[in-house]
Amino acid sequence: MPPFLFALPFRHLRSHWGRTLLTILGIALGAAVYLSIALAEVSALAAFKDSVDAVAGKANLRLRVAGAALDEQLLVKARQIPGVRAAAPVIETVAEMTRGGNEPLMLLGIDLFAERPFRDYEFNQHMDQDSERLVDFLIQPYSILITDRLAAQLGLGVGDRLPVILGSQRQELLIQGIFRPASGVYALNGAYALIDLGQAQELLNRVGKLDYIDLLVAEPVDQVAARVQAQMPPGIIVERPQNRSQQVDRMVAAYRLNLLVLSLIALFVGMFLIFNAVSLSVVRRRREIGLLRTLGTSRAQIMALFLSEGAVSGVVGGLLGIILGIWLAQATLKVVTQNLTALFILVKAENLRLSWTLMGQTLGLAVGVSLVAAFFPAWEASRTQPREVWHREELEEKLKKRAWPAFGLGLIILMLAGVCAAQGPVAGKPIFGFLAAFLILIGFALLTPQCAVGLGRLLQPAMRGLLGPPGELGCRYLQSSLSRTAVSIGALLAALAMLVSAAIMIQSFRQTVDHWITQSISGDIFLGPNIFSTAAYDAYLPPEVLAEVQSRSELADVYLYRCVRSAYKGRPILVIGGSMAVLDRHGGMLFRRGRSPEIFAQLQTEGNVIVSESFAELNHLNEGNNFLLPTPSGPQPVNIVGVFYDYRTDGHTVWMDIKFMHRYWRDSLVNAVRLYLKDLAQLEPLRQQLLQDYASRYRLMAMSHRELRAGIMDIFDQSFALTYALEAIAVVVAIFGIITTFLVLIMERERELALLKAIGASRGQVFRMILVESGLVGLISHWLGALAGTLLSLVLIYVINKQSFGWTIQFKWIPDIYLQSLVLVLGVGLAAGAYPAWRALQANLAAVLKEE
Amino acid sequence: MITLSGVSKAYHRGPEEIHALQGINLTIAAGEFVAITGKSGCGKSTLLHIIGGLEVPTTGQVSINGQNLSGLSDAELTLFRRDQVGMVFQSFNLLPLLTVQENVALPRILQGYPYRQALAQAADWLKEVDLGARQFHKPHQISGGEMQRAAIARALINDPRVIIADEPTGNLDTRLGTQVMEIFARLQARWQKTVILATHALEAARYSNRILQLQDGQLAS
Repeated sequence: MPPFLFALPFRHLRSHWGRTLLTILGIALGAAVYLSIALAEVSALAAFKDSVDAVAGKANLRLRVAGAALDEQLLVKARQIPGVRAAAPVIETVAEMTRGGNEPLMLLGIDLFAERPFRDYEFNQHMDQDSERLVDFLIQPYSILITDRLAAQLGLGVGDRLPVILGSQRQELLIQGIFRPASGVYALNGAYALIDLGQAQELLNRVGKLDYIDLLVAEPVDQVAARVQAQMPPGIIVERPQNRSQQVDRMVAAYRLNLLVLSLIALFVGMFLIFNAVSLSVVRRRREIGLLRTLGTSRAQIMALFLSEGAVSGVVGGLLGIILGIWLAQATLKVVTQNLTALFILVKAENLRLSWTLMGQTLGLAVGVSLVAAFFPAWEASRTQPREVWHREELEEKLKKRAWPAFGLGLIILMLAGVCAAQGPVAGKPIFGFLAAFLILIGFALLTPQCAVGLGRLLQPAMRGLLGPPGELGCRYLQSSLSRTAVSIGALLAALAMLVSAAIMIQSFRQTVDHWITQSISGDIFLGPNIFSTAAYDAYLPPEVLAEVQSRSELADVYLYRCVRSAYKGRPILVIGGSMAVLDRHGGMLFRRGRSPEIFAQLQTEGNVIVSESFAELNHLNEGNNFLLPTPSGPQPVNIVGVFYDYRTDGHTVWMDIKFMHRYWRDSLVNAVRLYLKDLAQLEPLRQQLLQDYASRYRLMAMSHRELRAGIMDIFDQSFALTYALEAIAVVVAIFGIITTFLVLIMERERELALLKAIGASRGQVFRMILVESGLVGLISHWLGALAGTLLSLVLIYVINKQSFGWTIQFKWIPDIYLQSLVLVLGVGLAAGAYPAWRALQANLAAVLKEE
Repeated sequence: MITLSGVSKAYHRGPEEIHALQGINLTIAAGEFVAITGKSGCGKSTLLHIIGGLEVPTTGQVSINGQNLSGLSDAELTLFRRDQVGMVFQSFNLLPLLTVQENVALPRILQGYPYRQALAQAADWLKEVDLGARQFHKPHQISGGEMQRAAIARALINDPRVIIADEPTGNLDTRLGTQVMEIFARLQARWQKTVILATHALEAARYSNRILQLQDGQLAS
């Protein structure tokens, strides 16, 4: 193919630079959103993996107990097992720094002399030269070593004190040295400190206990692991340290998949823009195509010409999207890190990790969707006969004739979407759910041409009566510009459908969670450590506080709560113990089957548990089933007596009465309590009293039910802020499509509009006519988008969310969203028509009408 | 009566100033059929556009039935075009989305006439130009000659005093061109309209009462 021919698309793109720019911007935005989300996720999870790796060091195996401490005697035993080269004891906790914005600080209690084979640290000169410092570190209470990054960030040096909250206690830690990990990999981006093991045990009230023991083995890891497991008492978990990263990967898989799909929406809407741009190009250049075919250009060459036009937009849009995406990713990383920390696991990621693979993927995706979008118009162009120089009206007639078949095909695709929605998950992923959502969008896009014709026809008499000739002509133009408007309506309806469905899903979810909080989280005051996050499970209520609170005369009941992180079949779970009798007296929980009082009564028998709906769904367990629950006392056979609705994100949950939990976990720890008052009028005075007694001494919080609910809803809203932002970007991309369409429509009709003015139409009449048409485009987009969005929300709620997270969300219809989106779309539609209309009215009549 | 006094029109094409019309003085009596002839680019269309209120002269005055066009606002010019002038173009300029009948009725509809009444009048005018059988067709479904006859019917429906026709036979072959000119002549004789025809074809000009020669923007004596 002569290279000169390839210059043609560039010339066309350049000559319509405004339209080209909007199309490229649409693709760029879509690509940018995809890349920013992908980069943010990868960076956040890589930061988490770094933390795991930095803490694990060279350890091959780790010994631990699910949600409890190990007996330190096991260290000696472990060292004696053949094949174990070295063993290092570790205490690990997360403290909160009260300096520098209440950031988390990981505190690793280590035996410095056992560490070297596992983790190598390079200490600063001060520490090397002055061995007394080392002695001070070992013997002076509350001495720590901090990373050079943290020291620089906080502006602290050797000899300074770092105030922290440990569990529920305030402490001041003395910095005895500064180090950097020899591997260069920092846990929590450097926000960690080392403390002598003995001091850590004392400080955290874990004397004689260890959180885990790291092992370095000299033989094949699996063989040694089996040997260690055989020699350890029941309840000890022997695993590779890297398993933690894999567990977290599985835990956040559904969250990541949902974000990925959301990030692709803008690109999907961008596809319509490319389709629109290339279709318009084909229609405008029919004469050129006819001429090229006459001169001997082959069909394949014609197709290549138009595909290259789409590809150019894809490449330029993709490259622009990469730049924009990297810029956006900085902000997205912050949001994703916040979400992961609030919903799943403590992550601290501040630096974006650029990935050539992801950038390549983004460019490939942008070019790929552009080529797919350009394919059909390009194929149509290649079918043009050399003699055939179509007039647009002939094409419109042809499209009008195809409107009914397209409508029928759309209905068939919608039925197919219904079939897909009824399918179960594939490998735990709602693949058919996503397919159903995609088919709904395609199905509705195919309904567009006939709906435009039908609505135009239906409203024609009314608009004629209301606005006179402009109303009539506006309706007529709508019916006869399908080649332009149908695609734009399709793009806008897709974006709107996603907006409406997300709004309905989020609002339904919000109300479900709100209802769940009211029903399942009873209690007048919550008293516990002041860490309102997923890091709170190893913070306990001081025993003396518990004793004092339980003796208060204002209280009718005290509910005790204990929660540990554990794992079941390689997935993180939470095992929760509660005073079930108290819960039964004050409201209970929402069970999917069975009566609360009977279920709570059964929980008083050892071995009976209740599980969250998500746990049951994921593990295919039901009421009456048994399973083996890992505990520090070894795996315990438990029986499910109830399945309840639960909307936690940081693990599927198994609940039992707290007395059995204390028995299995061999402790008497309590994380928090719920207090039930005899007289509600005492709520605020008691809350103030509790704060006064314990807040400063222990850093405890005393929250009313209302405050707790507000706190949970805040986290809920934050976690969906990103969803709304992504939807908004998709709508912006669709708006680009509408503006482009009307610019082209008006440009093409310049002569017709001039003629109307020449034969006596006033400026106002022409202006109103265009606004009627653009307003109708907005209206159809809205109606179809609202309908598609409602169907999509059902798929999101009953298929995608259910299969991804195992949550049952009660559908809640939100009428406001339809009104709000109508205002938005009508505004957009009218604004998109207003500018081109104004431009058309500035044209010189005589020049436009001048004979060819 | 149409009077042009000292009408000139200059355009700028880049740095170059082009004088499309220079000092045109012309009077056309009511009911007169005038043909303006000349080569391409001599200013025929510009002269017609100025008379039809589509363009404003750079200097000079245009007066139609005592009404000075120079002083009219855009809205007044719109009304003037709508009520007093009928226009026929070389490339027909029918709206593709309307039927032939609706195209003809359009000026009436824009005037505010009830839709059905306007359509009925359009049907009558289509019969006048022998297009009664084609009224429900779309423009692309009829021939060039038929499109031009529809355009003539459209120019007449508002009962204007002046008909302006810019190369109405330019896109037609001789036979169809003759048919169109015969219709012009017939209608002009019957309704006593003032017709101003711009053409470079002498055969078309023969149907007029007076032929004016335009050369380089000036009327030849």
